[in-house]
Amino acid sequence: MPYVFKKQIFGFMDLLRFKKMVPKRRRKLAEGSAAPLPETYRVNETAKILHPGFQRAVLVSVKEETADTKTFTFQTERPFYFRAGQYATLGCGVEKSVLSRPYSISSAPEDALKRKVSFTVKKAGFFSGYLFDEAKEGDVFTLGDPSGDFCYEPLKDAKHVVALAGGSGITPFYSMAQAIADGTEDFRLTIFYGANTEKDIIFRSELDKLASEKIRVIYVLSDEEKEGFEHGFIGAELIQKYVSGDFTVMMCGPQAMYAYADGQLAAFSLPLRRVKKEANCVGVRDVKPQTFTLTVHIGFETFSVPADARETVLTAMERAGLRVPAKCRAGGCGFCHSKLVSGKFSLAGADKRRLADAKFGYIHPCCSYPDSDMELIVPKA
Amino acid sequence: MKKYDAVVIGAGNGGLVAAIRLLQGGAKTLLVEKHNLPGGFATSFRRGRFEFEASLHELNDFGTADNAGDVRDLFDELGVTEKIDWLEIPEAYRVIARAEKLDATMPFGVSAFIDKMEKYVPGSRPSVTKFFALAEEIRLAQAYSSSVNGKTDPKYMVEHYGNFVRCGSYSVNEVLSALKMPKKAKDILNAYWCYLGAHCDDLSFLHYASMVNRYILRGASMPKMRSHEISLALTERVRELGGDILFNTEAVKISTDREGGVAGVTLGDGTEIITRHVVANCAPHVVFGRMMDKAPEAEIRATNARKFAGRGFSMFLGLDASAEELGVENHNYFLYDTMDTAAQYEKMRTIKENEVQATVCLNRAYPECSPKGTCMMYFTTLYMSDDWGNIKPEEYYKTKNYVADKMIARFERDTGAKLRGHIEEISIAAPMTYARYCGHPEGVIYGYESQYWDGLMPRLQMMGEDHKVRGLRFAGGYAMRLSGYSSAYFSGDISGRQTVGDIKKEG
Repeated sequence: MPYVFKKQIFGFMDLLRFKKMVPKRRRKLAEGSAAPLPETYRVNETAKILHPGFQRAVLVSVKEETADTKTFTFQTERPFYFRAGQYATLGCGVEKSVLSRPYSISSAPEDALKRKVSFTVKKAGFFSGYLFDEAKEGDVFTLGDPSGDFCYEPLKDAKHVVALAGGSGITPFYSMAQAIADGTEDFRLTIFYGANTEKDIIFRSELDKLASEKIRVIYVLSDEEKEGFEHGFIGAELIQKYVSGDFTVMMCGPQAMYAYADGQLAAFSLPLRRVKKEANCVGVRDVKPQTFTLTVHIGFETFSVPADARETVLTAMERAGLRVPAKCRAGGCGFCHSKLVSGKFSLAGADKRRLADAKFGYIHPCCSYPDSDMELIVPKA
Repeated sequence: MKKYDAVVIGAGNGGLVAAIRLLQGGAKTLLVEKHNLPGGFATSFRRGRFEFEASLHELNDFGTADNAGDVRDLFDELGVTEKIDWLEIPEAYRVIARAEKLDATMPFGVSAFIDKMEKYVPGSRPSVTKFFALAEEIRLAQAYSSSVNGKTDPKYMVEHYGNFVRCGSYSVNEVLSALKMPKKAKDILNAYWCYLGAHCDDLSFLHYASMVNRYILRGASMPKMRSHEISLALTERVRELGGDILFNTEAVKISTDREGGVAGVTLGDGTEIITRHVVANCAPHVVFGRMMDKAPEAEIRATNARKFAGRGFSMFLGLDASAEELGVENHNYFLYDTMDTAAQYEKMRTIKENEVQATVCLNRAYPECSPKGTCMMYFTTLYMSDDWGNIKPEEYYKTKNYVADKMIARFERDTGAKLRGHIEEISIAAPMTYARYCGHPEGVIYGYESQYWDGLMPRLQMMGEDHKVRGLRFAGGYAMRLSGYSSAYFSGDISGRQTVGDIKKEG
């Protein structure tokens, strides 16, 4: 005989109980409060401060740091928060394009809660040139989400961080130093700061003021020999002179510095987990000029735009004035994730896409160069 | 103005399936998603040389081609099974509970499971066998219920699925006690409870037994390229069927006609879409709290009556040694303080006290998921209150690290594995992270709690009467099938097909 489940003395009582479930739920739902539902929740409000999304930022001051770097300080629409070492995009309309660039935040996380944020930018390209020459107090920019993982991770990193900074690559470390000084972060930071000459050092007096048991800066000049400064490049011997024990290396600077540092760090046989590099924006590639056509679907609209084989697909869309998502410009963050309908492309550097993205034909336009005409479905910015 | 037969709000698991069902039913469909990726929680992310699974531990009820589960059948009908590379999960779980000094590793397969239980708990065989007999009857009764769209014939139910009806109003522990299951066997069997997020004195037996059966009967599977592969396969299918998808696009308003029925959807950029049908893959709290100007009072009352289920927290580790080297022996761990699930549930209310974790080492199911000589793990817990609402932004990162540190310590202590000193990548998701990406209130990841009165059975039975706004249906964890991957897919299947029916009725 098949098994018969019974809980109450009489099986029909189990059946009755079952029958009461729907009336009971009906009653419970009807008894709920008629008060308006909350429009938001505490966790969601905190999430908006941690991840504010795009917001308006008014340029409130411009300070000349060196001949080719300036610090731009903004007042933001809303308070926000970030981790020292993170970057955010800064954008605005320039001529017919809507442009943005990722810059490491040079101010302290605490300041962002007071709606203040600073970027220290070296004059290097089109957008930084615009900032340098055209931007003035009162101008309105669009600030993106604080992003990136170029931060101290207490559960993973050594208590001692050795920072290798090249030129304006000092900015994330300056933010970290401020965060250590005000108690937001807790680790020892030894910064090897490489610059061409003494005049090229950014934040010299600020960094000297921050020096403490936890924060030390060693200035390394490549083009000058001066007392009080190390000379040359940041190499193994120099690091050994100042540093011993377990440490995590974090580097931020030009690609050439990374290549040199990698060679020098071989002497320390550091595992991968002990070395972090901030990614650099993808630039142009060295091929012969050729123009392809991109067919771009954004929302309900379709656009046809030219694309120079030397520049990324993202740059082509921006040049044409299309409003498209852009964030890290180094292939890693996935913010520009777009569906490739047809066409060929080459990647700049390593493939940082998710496995399934490659399988189903998604690309990151910021690190893809066109090798033919292409058709793409791009989310709106 | 753009006009669609139906708009699906949210491209999570439920929304993606609903969109495919609508398109298969001939409806002109628009799917809008506020994030730039499909899938909701079903996604992945890269850190260094690792690609982490964001949420899926294992997909239950999938099975193999010749022993297909309901999810595989659904994916076959949707036309996506073949677009995905599947792998099978080797074993069900290892449960470790401190108070009871319990450490048991359970296999897939009903008879293997019963045999193993008998080894751990001599004399448990009769009650555990009865449990699976009940669970199987529940599965068949649910299949019957689905085949008639929830409009079951009570007489037929009692005649054919008498046990289903007789045990259907009880909690997990009430039924297991009636089965005279030995305590230790109950403790081992109840290990999956945190996947449903209500404790076993409150959780409906039907719901729990149905889930356990879906795991043990056919095993569990996983897409090789993480759940992002499923989400992209479903997205691909929506496009193949001619559906429109807009990413980075939030639906902000649902407008209504004079009778209060759905008339349109307003997008974040102000675009107005005309439609008479919406499948909302989001919380009724959000829809009636923010998206509709005049939500009916009955909906407000019903929504206020419900209780949010667990708020999510996950830590992801990329480790620079293999699972063998680290001493991580299993694929899926449940680590509890106690198998008194009601007491455990209480402790999960606060950041300070909660030390529960459900932990996966994906390499134990798929050794090639990360480079040779490395492995990946993810650790998840739930918070049974809004304690994270007390955390200020400036305390956020420290609090995340505090919990993550406790998770590592607990895993090392309970299993003997060594993780510290091998962490190459770490990423931590807190309720704020889930709130950010998916918009769920308080960072809830399990929808409305499977409380006794609001459990699976009454929700299914009340599917037809639950929402009174014409043209509005729900999918996802807040809907009639409750939370979890397979449940969300099924809710999308149900709401998608029902909306096709609604459209056809209107002619």
